[in-house]
Amino acid sequence: MDTKELETTALLAQIELGKGDLARLGEAVSQMLDNFRKMNELDTEGLEATTHALVTDNRVRPDSPVPSDLADALVERSPELEDRFIVIPNVL
Amino acid sequence: MDPTFETRWSQFSAKKQAYLAYARPMEQKVGSFLTYRPDVEAPQAGALQGLPFAVKDNIAVKNFPLTCGSRMLETLVSPYTATAVARLQAAGAVVIGKTNLDEFGMGSSTDLSALGKTNNPWDFSRVAGGSSGGSAAAAAAGLVSFALGTDTGGSVRQPASFCGVYGLKPTYGTVSRYGMTAYASSLEVMGIASKSLALTEKVYGVMKGRDPHDQTSLDPAPGVARAVKTIAVLDGLTDLEPAVQRAYEATLDHLKALGYRLLPVHLGTLDYAVPAYYTIATAEASANLARFNGIRYGLRPEYAENPEDLIRKSRTAGFGDEVKIRIMLGTYVLRSGFQDQYYTKAQKVRTAIRNDLQKVFDQADLLMTPTFPTRAFVHGDRSMTPYQQKLADKFTVTANLAGIPALSFPAGLEEGLPVGMQFMAPAFEEGRLFEAAAKFATRVAAPDCPGTSLDWSK
Amino acid sequence: MYQTFVGLEIHIHLNTATKVFCGCKAHFGDEPNTNVCPVCMGYPGVLPVLNQHALELAYTVSLALGCQLSHRTLFDRKNYFYPDMPKNYQITQFHEPVGQNGSIEFALADGTTKKVRIHDVHLEEDAGKMIHAGDMTLVDYNRAGYSLLEVVTEPDLASGEETEAFLQAFQRVVRYLGVSDGNMEEGSMKCDTNVSINKAGAGLGTKVEIKNLNSSRFVKKAIEHEQKRQAAVLEAGNKVSQETRLWNENRDVTETMRTKEGGLDYRYFPEPDLPPFVPDASFLKRIQDAQVELPLARKQRLVREFGLSREQADFVTDARFTADFFEQAVRASAASGGSAMANWLMGDVQKELNHFNLTLEACPLTAGRLASLQSLLDAGRIHTKIAKQLLVSIFEEDKDPETLLQEKGLESIATEQQLAPIVESVFSAHPNVVAAVKAGDARQKGFLVGQVMKATGGRAAPDLVNALLAKFLA
Ligand SMILES: [Mg+2]
Ligand SMILES: [Zn+2]
Repeated sequence: MDTKELETTALLAQIELGKGDLARLGEAVSQMLDNFRKMNELDTEGLEATTHALVTDNRVRPDSPVPSDLADALVERSPELEDRFIVIPNVL
Repeated sequence: MDPTFETRWSQFSAKKQAYLAYARPMEQKVGSFLTYRPDVEAPQAGALQGLPFAVKDNIAVKNFPLTCGSRMLETLVSPYTATAVARLQAAGAVVIGKTNLDEFGMGSSTDLSALGKTNNPWDFSRVAGGSSGGSAAAAAAGLVSFALGTDTGGSVRQPASFCGVYGLKPTYGTVSRYGMTAYASSLEVMGIASKSLALTEKVYGVMKGRDPHDQTSLDPAPGVARAVKTIAVLDGLTDLEPAVQRAYEATLDHLKALGYRLLPVHLGTLDYAVPAYYTIATAEASANLARFNGIRYGLRPEYAENPEDLIRKSRTAGFGDEVKIRIMLGTYVLRSGFQDQYYTKAQKVRTAIRNDLQKVFDQADLLMTPTFPTRAFVHGDRSMTPYQQKLADKFTVTANLAGIPALSFPAGLEEGLPVGMQFMAPAFEEGRLFEAAAKFATRVAAPDCPGTSLDWSK
Repeated sequence: MYQTFVGLEIHIHLNTATKVFCGCKAHFGDEPNTNVCPVCMGYPGVLPVLNQHALELAYTVSLALGCQLSHRTLFDRKNYFYPDMPKNYQITQFHEPVGQNGSIEFALADGTTKKVRIHDVHLEEDAGKMIHAGDMTLVDYNRAGYSLLEVVTEPDLASGEETEAFLQAFQRVVRYLGVSDGNMEEGSMKCDTNVSINKAGAGLGTKVEIKNLNSSRFVKKAIEHEQKRQAAVLEAGNKVSQETRLWNENRDVTETMRTKEGGLDYRYFPEPDLPPFVPDASFLKRIQDAQVELPLARKQRLVREFGLSREQADFVTDARFTADFFEQAVRASAASGGSAMANWLMGDVQKELNHFNLTLEACPLTAGRLASLQSLLDAGRIHTKIAKQLLVSIFEEDKDPETLLQEKGLESIATEQQLAPIVESVFSAHPNVVAAVKAGDARQKGFLVGQVMKATGGRAAPDLVNALLAKFLA
C-alpha cells in the first residue's frame, strides 16, 4: 500500500501516523494485504457471501421501556462534565 | 480427568488462607491477572457453588475494570455485567479477577497487552499464548477452577494448548456475546479454559442459551445424540513444528487404539482461511473499535483544539501498534473501490469454507487437527514474527469462519511443554467434542504443570 | 433557461415508546443524559436489540408509499466519526432497506397533482445532540438511538414552491398514518435537500446538498437561493462544485460546510449483530391493517361525496382527526350536507378553538355534539344566531346542545301562534314607531325587530319575525 493510501486510510480511521509509524505499520499492513490477495486463487463464482452465521428466525423486542438505572453511573465515567452534559472542546 | 477437581475447588472460601499462601506467589511469577481480588466469599448454593473463576478483561463484570488490555480503557470500570458471567454468578460461581490479554483480543501471545506481562506457567520465559493468555495461564497454574476467554480466531484454544488445559470454543451464538467487548462480531464467542473437561462441560451448560440482549444468540438445537465413530484428519499435514508433529502422530495412534475410524480428508479451502479470517475480522474491528474516542469514557488527551483533534489524539495515544495495524487493514478492505476485492471476497471464501466443512461432516463425526503448529514460543519476536503468528492461526480460524464448535485438548508433553490438539464438530454438537475428549483423556490426562498445586484444599 | 432538480432525504422520528436498539425511553425534554444505557452510550460489549414497533412503522410507511417491501430486510453499519454518535457508526439500512421504488402524489397550488418517486425507505438510529457554548460543546445522548425513518426521493421536484408543498403533503401523510408528529420546528422531521440545476433538457447537474433546514419555508428559500447561486456559477462559465452547504437562516443564504473530495467513505457493511428480518404473514397483516386512506385520496373523495369546495376540502383534510370528525358529524346529522359542516369547522368552531386556545382533539365539542347542533338548526328548533350561542356554551360548559337548549330555554319561537301576541304587544307599546313605518319610514322597522327579539330573549325565528311584521304592518 502506498503512503497516500495509507494516509487516507488513517484519516478515515482517525488515527494519526507519524513518519516512523508510516513505515513500520505500513509494512505490516502491506504484508497482510499481500496475504489477503491469495484469496483470488479460490474460485468463489456463484457463492453467496456469509454475513450472518446461524440465526434463522426473526429477532425483535417489544416496544416497552426497560428502565436503566445506570444513567448516573454512565455520566460519571465521562472524562469531563458540566452538570449532566458531557463536555468536549468546541470547533472554533 | 480429576473427579475430585470440582469438590476441592468448591472449598475455596473455607480454605482461603491456604489458597492465598499458594496463589499469591504463583501469580507473582505467572502474571495472569490485571485485577486480582481473591478476598471474596463464594456463594454456597447452585450448580457451581463456591467455584472461583477468572474473566478475561474484555468481558464486562460490574464494578471490575474493563481494560481490554489497552491504555485506552485503563481507567474504565464496567457499569454492567455480561449475561454469561451473570449466569455463572447466579449458579454460585464467583469472579476473583480479570485476566490479561493481547490488547482488545488482537494477538497470539498476550505480549501485546499494554498493561501487564503474562508468562507461561510451564516455562516463564515463554508466552502463555493469546489472546486469552491470562485465562489459560490462570487455569493451568491452579489459580482458578476455570477461566473465561473470548475466541475470535482461536484465542481460547491456542493459549489452552500452550498451557496444557482444555479450551472450548462453543458454537457461534450459543453463548451470549452481551458484555463481551466486540472485536469481530460475526466470528467470536465466549469460551472456557480449565484443567477439568467435566467442569468445562458443566460451565458451558450454565452459560449457554438465548439472551434477549443478544439477537444473534441461540438455544442450541437439541441434536440427536450420536456416538463418535469416525474422526476426519487432514491428509498430508506438514509445516508443523517437529514436536507438534510427533504429538499429532501419537494422538492419531491413541485415537486408533480407542477404536475410532480415522478418515483422511483434503480441505481445499484451508489455505484461504487465514486471509479470509483476517479480512473479515479486521473489517469488523475497524467499526467495533470506532467507539473508543475519549468522549464518553476512556483515555482523553490533556488538550485538544476541537472534537476531531480530541478523537484523533485519544485513539493515537490509546491504541497500540497491532490494534492500529488491524484497524487500518479493516478500514482499507471496506473502502469503496476495494470492498469487493477484499471484504466481499472474504465473505464468499467463508461460504466456501463452510461448504467444505459440511462435506467433511457428511462423512465424519469430528474433524481433528493440531490446535497450533507450534508449542508455546518464547517472549519477543525471536522465534515467531507477528506475521508468522497470524499465518499459524489456520487451524483455529476455520472453526470461527464456520461458526462451529471446537475444543483444544491436552495431547501430551513434548520436551516439557504441552501440546494441544483440537476437535471440531458440526454446529451445536459440543456433545461430540466432550465425548471424544473424555475418551482420549483415559489414555492421555491433562498434565499438571510443575510447581502448581491444589494441595491447599487438603 | 435552466431546469431545477430537487431530491430530498427526509428523516422522521417514529412514534415509538423506546429507542430503536435499546429499551431506553424515547422522550423529549428530560434532563440531559438521563434516558441512556450502556447500549445507546456505545459501551464496550453492548449489542443492539431491534424494536419491533419501529420496524412495523417503517413497513407501514413503505407500504403507504407504494414501495416494494423487502422480503428480507437487513441492517448495515455506516462508518464515520462524529462526536455525538456513540459508536461512530450508524446502524442504518443500505443493502436491503425496508421499502424501495415507491411514490407520493400530492396537490400543487393550482389544484393539479404531481407524483414524486421514492427511491427507498429505511430505518436507522439518530445521534445525540450538541449544544455549542463558547469554547466548549455540551453533548447530550438522550436522543442517541431514537428510531429514525429516512425517506429518500428521486430528484423529481422542480422548484422551491413545489418542494414546500410536497413537504407539507408528506407531513400530512406521516401524521395520517400516525407514525410520526412530523414536526420540523421541533426536530421530529428533518430534511436534507439536494439541488442541481442544468440547461433545460441536459439532465441532472452537479448535486449540492443543503443541511440544517428546520422548516419547509426554509427549504423553499434555500432552493430558491441555490437556483440563483448555481445559475450565476454556470453563467460565469464555471462548474458547480459538489459539496454540502448549510442554510444560514439569519442571512437567507447557503454556505459551504464541507467539500466531498477525500472526505467521506462510509464503508457500509452488513451489521453482524442484527440478523436479517423476514416479515411473516401476521406481520404483513398488521402492516395492512395499519393502512389508512391517505390525505390526497381522502380530499378527492370528500369533494366527490359531499360536494366540498377545494378550499373546504383542504381545510377538512389537513389533519386526519378533523377529517374523521367531519365525516362523523355529517353522517350523524342526516338532514344537512357536508358544506354546512365544513363551514362550521372552518368558521365558528375554529374561532372558538382559537379563543379557548384548544385543539379539536382536546375540546368539549365532539362530532356528535356538532351533529346535534346542526340537527337542531335543520329542524328549525333554533336559528343560526342561537346555534352560535350554543356552540360557545358547549365550549364553556361541556354539555350536549339539547341539554343546554333545555336549561337555557333557548328553543326558537317559531310559530305564528307563539309570536303573534308578542308582536302585538310591541306594536301597542310603540304606536308612534308603527305609524312612522306605515308612513314609509322603513329605517325604523329595524327598531321593531329589535324590540321583538328583546322580548323573546333572541329566540324568535328571524324569518318569522319579518313575516309577521310585514303582515301586521300591511
Ligand atoms: Mg441515513
Ligand atoms: Zn439506551
